[in-house]
Amino acid sequence: MNRTRWLYSLGILLLFAAPLEVLARIKLTTLPVRERVEIQLDHPQIALVEEERIVPLVKGVNQVDFSWANTRIDPDTLVLRILPSPVEQPLEARVLSVSYPPNENALVWAVAASDSGAVRVRISYVLGGLSKDFHYRAVADRAEKTLNLAQLLRVNNNANEAYASAEFWAGVGERFSKPLGLSETKEVQLSRFAAVPVRKTYTIDPTAFGYLDRAKDQLNVPMHYVIKNAGGDLGREPLPAGKARIFQDDGQGGTAFLGEDRGAFTPPDDELKLYLGLARDIAVRRTVDRNDRQRIAGNLYRYDVTLKYEIENFKDTPATLDIIESVRQIRDQIRGDSGRDPEWQLGDGTLRDSDPEKSDADQLLFRVELPARPADGPAPKQIHTLRLTLNNEW
Amino acid sequence: MVNAMTSNKNLNRMAWLGCGLAMLLLPLALAASNLNLATVPERRTVQLTIYNSEDLTLVRESRVLSFKQGVNPLQFSWANTLIDPTSVELTFREPGAALQVLDTTFPHDRPQTLFWNVQSDADREATIEISYFTSGITWEADYLAIADPEEKTLRLESFVRVRNQSGEDYENAQVRLVVGTINLVEKIAELARLPVGRLDELKREEYRELRLKAGRQMMAPAPIMMAETAVAADMAAPKEIIKEGLSEYFIYTIEGTETVPNGWAKRLRSFEADEVPMTVEYRYRPREYGDPLVRLYLLRNDAASKLGGTPLPDGTIRVFRANGRDGLSYLTRQSLKYVPIGDKIELNLGPDPLVVFELVKRKVYRDNLWFQVRGGDLYHKLGESGLRLELDSRVAGWDEHTIYQQRIRNYGRQPIKAQIRREFPGDIVFRSRLNPSLHDFQTVQFEAEVPAGGKAELDYELIARTGYNQKQNRVELQAGEVSR
Repeated sequence: MNRTRWLYSLGILLLFAAPLEVLARIKLTTLPVRERVEIQLDHPQIALVEEERIVPLVKGVNQVDFSWANTRIDPDTLVLRILPSPVEQPLEARVLSVSYPPNENALVWAVAASDSGAVRVRISYVLGGLSKDFHYRAVADRAEKTLNLAQLLRVNNNANEAYASAEFWAGVGERFSKPLGLSETKEVQLSRFAAVPVRKTYTIDPTAFGYLDRAKDQLNVPMHYVIKNAGGDLGREPLPAGKARIFQDDGQGGTAFLGEDRGAFTPPDDELKLYLGLARDIAVRRTVDRNDRQRIAGNLYRYDVTLKYEIENFKDTPATLDIIESVRQIRDQIRGDSGRDPEWQLGDGTLRDSDPEKSDADQLLFRVELPARPADGPAPKQIHTLRLTLNNEW
Repeated sequence: MVNAMTSNKNLNRMAWLGCGLAMLLLPLALAASNLNLATVPERRTVQLTIYNSEDLTLVRESRVLSFKQGVNPLQFSWANTLIDPTSVELTFREPGAALQVLDTTFPHDRPQTLFWNVQSDADREATIEISYFTSGITWEADYLAIADPEEKTLRLESFVRVRNQSGEDYENAQVRLVVGTINLVEKIAELARLPVGRLDELKREEYRELRLKAGRQMMAPAPIMMAETAVAADMAAPKEIIKEGLSEYFIYTIEGTETVPNGWAKRLRSFEADEVPMTVEYRYRPREYGDPLVRLYLLRNDAASKLGGTPLPDGTIRVFRANGRDGLSYLTRQSLKYVPIGDKIELNLGPDPLVVFELVKRKVYRDNLWFQVRGGDLYHKLGESGLRLELDSRVAGWDEHTIYQQRIRNYGRQPIKAQIRREFPGDIVFRSRLNPSLHDFQTVQFEAEVPAGGKAELDYELIARTGYNQKQNRVELQAGEVSR
């Protein structure tokens, strides 16, 4: 019942320019139906609905009454545009003014027409309650070298308005036409990217991911999939932010769920990094092996600090481990926070060459190659050291 | 007359309630009794001058009255409206000198009423003008901008919207709108009395419906001309709004007359301009636009930009971009501050997700360290020969070098221009090869162009003279390579 009422509630009522007494009698002269609806979802937060209707006009000034109920149209965003008439039926029409009756969700356009006939108008407005979100579903191959990535769009209709057919545009992917019912959520696949190269990374980062066992100085080792938005069908458009669920081919005709993460907005040529879970077959212990203080003068000191990493790869495949450290966190740990940025130099530890692209005045990133566990023996333990000199501390 | 008026049917009566103003000419002998009433003259003309900076409208209306020789008492009342009684003024258009207001009385027992005693030198008919301030009628500007798909030009439409909540219906009024900020010592709405009881005679719903009906009737356009008579007539064009200067203000006069019933609002186009040239610029100015790098449309309110006919009053602007398929993309909504003729217009579209803007701190080091010896007035620099600094010497001053790289990655399909302003309090040396300028004593400005799909890496070094070393509070620009 509500639905039927609503279908008629957003209507254009034509009040032909007429003497006042006549006006009341011919109130419902015509109710032009929507010829076409486009829903523009390219704005991050806002849904813009555009509907085309064919409005019959008489020569002179016409009143076009637009009213709505139970829906969150922002009346201040309403734009009425009269689309050009076909050459064989030239008809010029212009909006003269808009009137807003009190206590009503309505407005009245005064439209002047050069002749009697019909014009195609496009009415655009921001509609609350219509939202969208993107999400991704990917299935990786057995070797975790490539994955098939599907980009899906979900449109949530809480706008209390039904659309028998509407063309949707989400800002990326193809336009598509679908019906959208009341309180309905519609999910469509916008794009599919096959055999996308994926890089699997392992990371230790005490600041961001913490310890698996603090008492044993054992760090968490998160596992990430890194996908570059480039190459093949990728890289033509940004990948909007959204939840990504990653599965893997289980080799038995099915898939197994590996994990999910919220992917950030990824422009073309940039990388999408998804944290899927912890890798328990790579064990890393981190200790502060040395902390020496030397006085330079007065209350000015220099600190020599060495961090030691004991790394074991229990996997039967080689791996790359990213070691991320915050120098400020190290400084704060060994001598407390002075409120100043640390001034530091890398010493002669085994970790000497940080990745310049990923490192800065505070954060350091080192890459360490881990060989696979031998088939016939225990995993070898690698020892790495990071030696830092903290200068001019007081 | 009064009997006839009050015996009318409800609708007419309501219309009168809305009008509220009654003008009564009283026989001299009955000035205080109000028993025999001579006439209720109708308004001949009404002019509304509406100010947008205050809730203030100057109403000027004219009526025609017959006067007898001698003293003529007049009664003026304004029940259920928001008129400032102290502002009501009576003047005579013609014949001016023959008529004179002797005094004005506000009776204590008759709210929202006043009496004038008018001296006339003969029996005559005269056009009188009554002016007063009312609140409840407001106007505001709003704008619609639609950029073309390539973002080279935009279409700008300006509107004025008049709202009438004054309690009074103004029919066929000449409407003038004042752009400017005037000073008022008291609010008109406070000076006006609150409406009193007569509206309660009808149930609220009934009243609303009647008003709405009456309103819709008033808002209906003029009857259509028959085809024969309309042959020569062109299609109705939107009303012209004439713009003129008025002291420090601007006054817009809407062509012809307008009817704005109480409770209604009406929006008219003030001007439109097609293919207004614009540029796109990216700016980082935290004080003005907050933390992100924002994208702006920049245009100018001048003739070269097909604008400049009028200042743009404060108002809300909604910005769209045409998508090339008859559709629009919603970009933003923002308030536009008054734009004088010739001034620039900035439309802030917010951050662009395709442009990544990062500031990377690459290195920090300190030098030129000074020590205060034993808390006294003696200071020594570290490294001065032959000097031994004991534990009770403390660091008192130093130069802190921080090397930054401002990175801008443009993932979009168009090259961009970015302008960056950063504020550095303290005694600062800004060293770079960026050809910067000082926006003010502590704000540095520099620009960059980033090709489509490219990136810019802008290096600079800040040297902050801190503690004992601080001698100034300003930024000094220095051309040079940054430390590595």
